[in-house]
Amino acid sequence: MAHKLDFTLDPVEWRAWLNPIAIETANSEQIAVLEESTPTAKTSPYYLLLVQDVDVLRERSRLYNAIMYGPRGLPRADRELAAVAVSRVNGCVYCASVHIQRYIQLTKRPELMQRLVEEGVETELAPRERAIVDFAVKLTRQPGALTAEDVAPLRHIGLSDQEILDLTHVIAMFAWANRLMQTLGEPVQIVNQL
Amino acid sequence: MTQDGMDTSDVLTMDVMNQLAGLRPDTKIAGVRALRPDVVRHTQGSYDTLLTPKAPAGLTRSERAQVALRVAYLTASPALAAHYRQQLLELGVPADDIVAIEQEEQKTALDSRTAAILRHVDLVTHTPGHATQVDLRELQSDGLSSEEIVTLSQLIAFLNYQVRVLAVVSVLGDIPTSDKSDKEE
Repeated sequence: MAHKLDFTLDPVEWRAWLNPIAIETANSEQIAVLEESTPTAKTSPYYLLLVQDVDVLRERSRLYNAIMYGPRGLPRADRELAAVAVSRVNGCVYCASVHIQRYIQLTKRPELMQRLVEEGVETELAPRERAIVDFAVKLTRQPGALTAEDVAPLRHIGLSDQEILDLTHVIAMFAWANRLMQTLGEPVQIVNQL
Repeated sequence: MTQDGMDTSDVLTMDVMNQLAGLRPDTKIAGVRALRPDVVRHTQGSYDTLLTPKAPAGLTRSERAQVALRVAYLTASPALAAHYRQQLLELGVPADDIVAIEQEEQKTALDSRTAAILRHVDLVTHTPGHATQVDLRELQSDGLSSEEIVTLSQLIAFLNYQVRVLAVVSVLGDIPTSDKSDKEE
């Protein structure tokens, strides 16, 4: 096995440890679920592996898209920040890379992501980002120990209950996504990029 | 699942998350959850397809509930543990086998396939970053197919989602809620 990749702001690829299905063998139900999951799903080893349990992938993709792209509520950039924080804590290099790039696209703030990559979740942050990252870290590490005290800083920065739930769903969804990415395959460096 | 033509109000009434958090549908925090009907619907849909599939292929209903109870135990969630313990009783799993899932010293009582599944639950829940290709090969040598490993992975990962949403929904349900309109500062 290759040496483990470090966290990076650059794109990386993902290799499955089990055999994904060949797209030519997919049935019409599987094709439909792949098409609604994400635009690149039909060429993605990750989705071509998960589509083996098509009923579960259908629900999971609809849930993921509702959580990450649902209108109003918590701003998109905050959702991406939480996704990166959770992935950083869990050690998911692939997920972190994808959501670092989305965060930078939305905010044009690569410095913040650079520091999260290099120094981790303890890096110095502005109050809003601090509150979001601290909540993400606590809920990721110790879901059973969460109390009202952990929610108070989110209210202090002005988040409504709906935004707190939006944030919670992102953190919880990355408890899910990281685990699939980390235990069904591994990140690999992109080669022959042209 | 919404395949039976349930409308949104049905989905919210039948919701396992509200049930686990002890929330009646007319409480404020249940109302806030309902502002994201797709999230509620597909959280429930994920539960249905993973824990109570109509025609379970691969993992049995009992195996699924055993995995769920193990995650509830590992993440210290009494409400979740009680839910899945009850499910295992209803599925007719012997009480000794249910106890063994939550007690390290009794794990030797479990058959090798169940023990292998539970070892994987511990790995994926606590230290997903330590997993390697070898762990999947070991599951295969204990008799799990590639399809079953995909379902098992989704199941463990979903439960790690469920326990975190439940933790926050429970806390928000217990403390006075705030709105943008009635901020104190």
